[in-house]
Amino acid sequence: MQRRPIVIALAALLAACSAPDNKEAGSGDTLVIGGEDASDYAENYYQMPTPNELFQIVRTMSNDGQKQMMSPAKNVERYATSAKKALNFGVYATDLVYASNYKITSEVVRYYITCKKLGDELGLAGSFSDKDFMRLERNLTHGDSLDVISNEAYERAYRRMQDERMGPTLALVLAGGWIESMHLVTRQVLHVDAEDPLVMRVAEQKVSLDLLVDLMEQYKDDPQVGNMRQELLKLRDIYDTFPVIRTEQAKASASGRQVLGEDVVVVITAQGFKELAAAVEALRDDIITPEDIIKPAQS
Amino acid sequence: MLTRSLIIAIVCATIGSAQAQTECVDFWKSAPRAADARFAVNGQSRAASVQVGVPTELNIIIYKGQDYRVSVVYDEKILGKEVAIRIIEKVRGPKKPANGKEVSVKGQGKPEIEDVEKVIWDNQEHEMANEVEFTATSTKRIAIEVMAPGPENPKDGKRGRVPQDIGCLGILIEHMPTPAIGF
Repeated sequence: MQRRPIVIALAALLAACSAPDNKEAGSGDTLVIGGEDASDYAENYYQMPTPNELFQIVRTMSNDGQKQMMSPAKNVERYATSAKKALNFGVYATDLVYASNYKITSEVVRYYITCKKLGDELGLAGSFSDKDFMRLERNLTHGDSLDVISNEAYERAYRRMQDERMGPTLALVLAGGWIESMHLVTRQVLHVDAEDPLVMRVAEQKVSLDLLVDLMEQYKDDPQVGNMRQELLKLRDIYDTFPVIRTEQAKASASGRQVLGEDVVVVITAQGFKELAAAVEALRDDIITPEDIIKPAQS
Repeated sequence: MLTRSLIIAIVCATIGSAQAQTECVDFWKSAPRAADARFAVNGQSRAASVQVGVPTELNIIIYKGQDYRVSVVYDEKILGKEVAIRIIEKVRGPKKPANGKEVSVKGQGKPEIEDVEKVIWDNQEHEMANEVEFTATSTKRIAIEVMAPGPENPKDGKRGRVPQDIGCLGILIEHMPTPAIGF
């Protein structure tokens, strides 16, 4: 008699292990593949592009990189909580990729060591390896290799957090990285002109913020992720005021490959840009402020 | 004795489940690379274990001025010989009614927002192709949606057992700056 509940529990456990439990699979005899509403109950995965992709694009349209725009590496010792460490790991890793892309060679090694230190503390030992560090040192005079090595380290850390199901940590790392990328790009804009390719790139980042906010949703019950997501939603509110123009694709692709869908342009005004940039700076300041600094109470 | 058996079963089930996930982690690397050597592997490539009949979406960002190649590999024995693949464009923006004016949330200056999803590529219109190359003329958020029908004649089913319905699927994404052709 005693065995029955255990056998039932065991059966239930094995059944539970076999499949995701919250999705309505195409039940019944007929399976309709890719129907109109298929995405309504899809299993969703989110991948953020690495900062390298953005920097490779904006590098061609901006001035030289400036190390003073990067978060001070010396502050790495002053982040105590795991949330701050995760956010600033994202910031520093983005700075490393930025320094590598813009060939600020004097800073590449410093930020690699900074990322390695913070990564080790977050349980990502090995992502920024000694072997790669030596590779990096050997290639300091070969700028093109630096961004490859830095990006590989960034990707290793990213995939490690995914593989080891460190969802909330990854969410914070990505949030810190997104803010730092925005800071580094917006600070390159000296005169706001809606037609400036760099300004247009800032406007386009609406889509990556959108993706990030959705990625973070699954971890929003984590207080730190929830708080950061709320801050990002405020930025999205600003983006939401910018008109989005969709037009039929008129031109053929320069490469001869097909173009999918319509052209989508996010229209940003000088005022909108300034509001967005100010909000990004305020949030970044909050992220990179060391935890041993007591902020004055707001009146 | 029973408690011990139960613990062993739980451990086995946990290890089995974790192993299934781990096995899939690098599955995207098994996708054949593009013939055009200028394509570089994009960091948004990913693999997952997917269930027959359940659509799986990989949400990514594509940048204006880049060419992309998306290719899908999967465990044919479990997921079937052909899978349905769609690329869905997801655009979030102020709602626009027929008269062209933006709609505000009642009592506020804030515009009403809508999420528009549009299928921009469907492999059922391209002989169930497992790969597609295209140029991004705008920076967009897209979802690569895959749905596996399962094998036509599941082997395990013949023996009266429930056929395995979760298999590995990998999506390889490659990109390069859009090259210009011609004179």
